[in-house]
Amino acid sequence: MKVATGLMLVLPGLMAGASAEDLTELTEQRFRKLHAELQPGDGELWRSIPWQTSLLAAQSMAAEQKKPLFIWAMDGHPLGCT
Amino acid sequence: MIDRASTFASPQVVQFLKTKAIPVAIDQAYQRRQQDTEGEFYRRIVQQSPRKDFGNNTTQGLFMASASGDFLGFTNHRSPDRVMQMLNEAWKKAPRGQVSAIVRETVDRRYNPEPPEGGLIVRVQAKILSGYEPAESQFQHIFQTALSRDNLWITKAEHAALVSGRVPRALVTRIARFHLVDNTRGEPPMWETAEIQSADMTVKGSDLLGSFRLATADGRRRYEATMRGELQVQDGRVVNLDAVVLGTFTGEGRYTRNAPKEPFPLAISFTLADGSDIADGVPPQGGRGWIDGYLK
Repeated sequence: MKVATGLMLVLPGLMAGASAEDLTELTEQRFRKLHAELQPGDGELWRSIPWQTSLLAAQSMAAEQKKPLFIWAMDGHPLGCT
Repeated sequence: MIDRASTFASPQVVQFLKTKAIPVAIDQAYQRRQQDTEGEFYRRIVQQSPRKDFGNNTTQGLFMASASGDFLGFTNHRSPDRVMQMLNEAWKKAPRGQVSAIVRETVDRRYNPEPPEGGLIVRVQAKILSGYEPAESQFQHIFQTALSRDNLWITKAEHAALVSGRVPRALVTRIARFHLVDNTRGEPPMWETAEIQSADMTVKGSDLLGSFRLATADGRRRYEATMRGELQVQDGRVVNLDAVVLGTFTGEGRYTRNAPKEPFPLAISFTLADGSDIADGVPPQGGRGWIDGYLK
């Protein structure tokens, strides 16, 4: 009974420790897999919008095409980090 | 981040923006401060909107305006229905007459940084691999699964050093301070130089290897990670740079609340930009308003 209790206490700790280590171990294979995973998906709808990044360039296009401007203004660049 | 997976995941919104308007995405922290033609045009629009008393505060949101700078509509909601309502109402009010393109007469260099000539732009994308509690809402799920995006700028001299197999100290420090951050839930705190306990990068053949240990003085925000990647040089130029930094991150920032409570695995990828993505032209977040300091 003592042994069993001890194992029950130790095993979850070992498993958690091994798991955490595995999660941050950067092997060659893991590098290639993660690098592929950390790329934007082709199917993301917002990426199909023809965004401009210069307000004046967009104004020029709006004037030429007689269209209004839509401005997505964020803290941090909306096509970037936020 | 959240707008991409909510507002701009709506086929109706996307179709409207593709056909009825000219969509432009900006970091308003630039335009509301710029002392030049573009800044004046932006502030003219905002001053007619519900954001008119912005002072030193944010002007973030979604605006519709005519090409002549007349305000047509605004919302700071993310619901596609609310956004479509604003777009349709603005569209009805939009003038159809002739408007001239504005001539850019002045440029505020502080807020119009250009990538270093002869240098490199590297895409940087971060993701938390696990550690969150189950999401309780759609928005929480979006944050928890987000892939961030920033750009690393490398100077001409640093590019030349990489070609010869060296990683200059300034580049290692820039990567550590401004790009080994958890920006998956918003604008992150960057690392201070004093918070870099160790940071090393080396090139061995075509392998790019590194290790980093970053921590605030109180230890509440930390990142311990290793880097592995590959660097290929051809005809005196870097033609391929793929790398990943992977390690254990702890903590959060003022604008990046609700990180996993326990230390969590954070992976950050680096990919040489080829200019094919519109976001390749976005300046680094860490260089906002002081690009010379970022690049030093």
